[in-house]
Amino acid sequence: MLGPFTKQDHWEITTLGMEFAVSEALCTGVGYWLDKRWETFPWCLLAGAAAGFALGLYQIIRAAGKMTKQNINLKKAEQKDGRR
Amino acid sequence: MDVAEIISHHILDHDWGVTLSGFRIPVTTHTVTLLAVSLVLLLGLHWISLGRQSRAGRLLTTLMEEYVLFIRDGIVLPNMGKEGKTFLPYFCTLFLFVLCSALAGLIPNMKTATANISVTAALALCSGGLILYCGLKFHGIIGFLKGFIPSGTPGWLVPLIFPLEVVSMIIKVCVLAIRLFANMLSGHMVLICLLLIIFVVGQMHIAAGAGALLPAMGLELFMTCLELLVAFLQAYVFTLLTSIFAGSVIHTH
Repeated sequence: MLGPFTKQDHWEITTLGMEFAVSEALCTGVGYWLDKRWETFPWCLLAGAAAGFALGLYQIIRAAGKMTKQNINLKKAEQKDGRR
Repeated sequence: MDVAEIISHHILDHDWGVTLSGFRIPVTTHTVTLLAVSLVLLLGLHWISLGRQSRAGRLLTTLMEEYVLFIRDGIVLPNMGKEGKTFLPYFCTLFLFVLCSALAGLIPNMKTATANISVTAALALCSGGLILYCGLKFHGIIGFLKGFIPSGTPGWLVPLIFPLEVVSMIIKVCVLAIRLFANMLSGHMVLICLLLIIFVVGQMHIAAGAGALLPAMGLELFMTCLELLVAFLQAYVFTLLTSIFAGSVIHTH
């Protein structure tokens, strides 16, 4: 079970939603631009949207993994010190 | 003018620049506010640094000392460790600049420079530069690039993970700019919309407009107080997130 998050974790969590939205918007925008350039509408746009979604999810999973790892390390250090 | 035009007139930047022998000097309301804030900060902080013995001088010196201690002990040291001390002047400047730019927008006839995406993008670029510099200074080019690959990643996944991590870092910097811009812009939009309630209702019937006056002004006052809070909060968030990202680059594992 996860213990309490650190202050940094809380702030990072608040940015995750916006990071997801920005990745989605950015990749979709790039896809739209490529579609205009190569006249392939709507394929690059769809691929961009999918890539943006994947990137956003990756960021959330990565952040969650990092926080869990930090928490486990903290608990190990506490156990080693005899703190509970 | 219809409602949409009034809102956009209130929010958008106005260019009243001059063209001198084919060279355009862009003087806009946002650039003027930006320069005014910079000038006031430069002169004000210089005056404080002189250490005047007057009551106001001593008060402001103490206030500045407390402010620097708050930035150092509350933001820089917990997130970047002792390595962050070198960058303390940058964080102090950043906080004060974002705060004063936001507060300037609450003065009548002045605009919030940070409600312009170009300004926030420039600030985010500076923060991005700092993050890059931290990575290169403390780990070197190879070490900094290695930091983008999470420990325990299988070799065959590296070509996929590395660009994802690089793009993630770029997005983090973009988010800094967009968050500040969106918060500042939306606050001012709400303020003007609340004022417009009086005129929109007044167009239906003059008595209804008069009736809407008090609630609208009450809400306006509340939102202005909230904007004051948002100014401090956004300055804090921008500085804090920059220090967290820079700290994550310095302490990779």
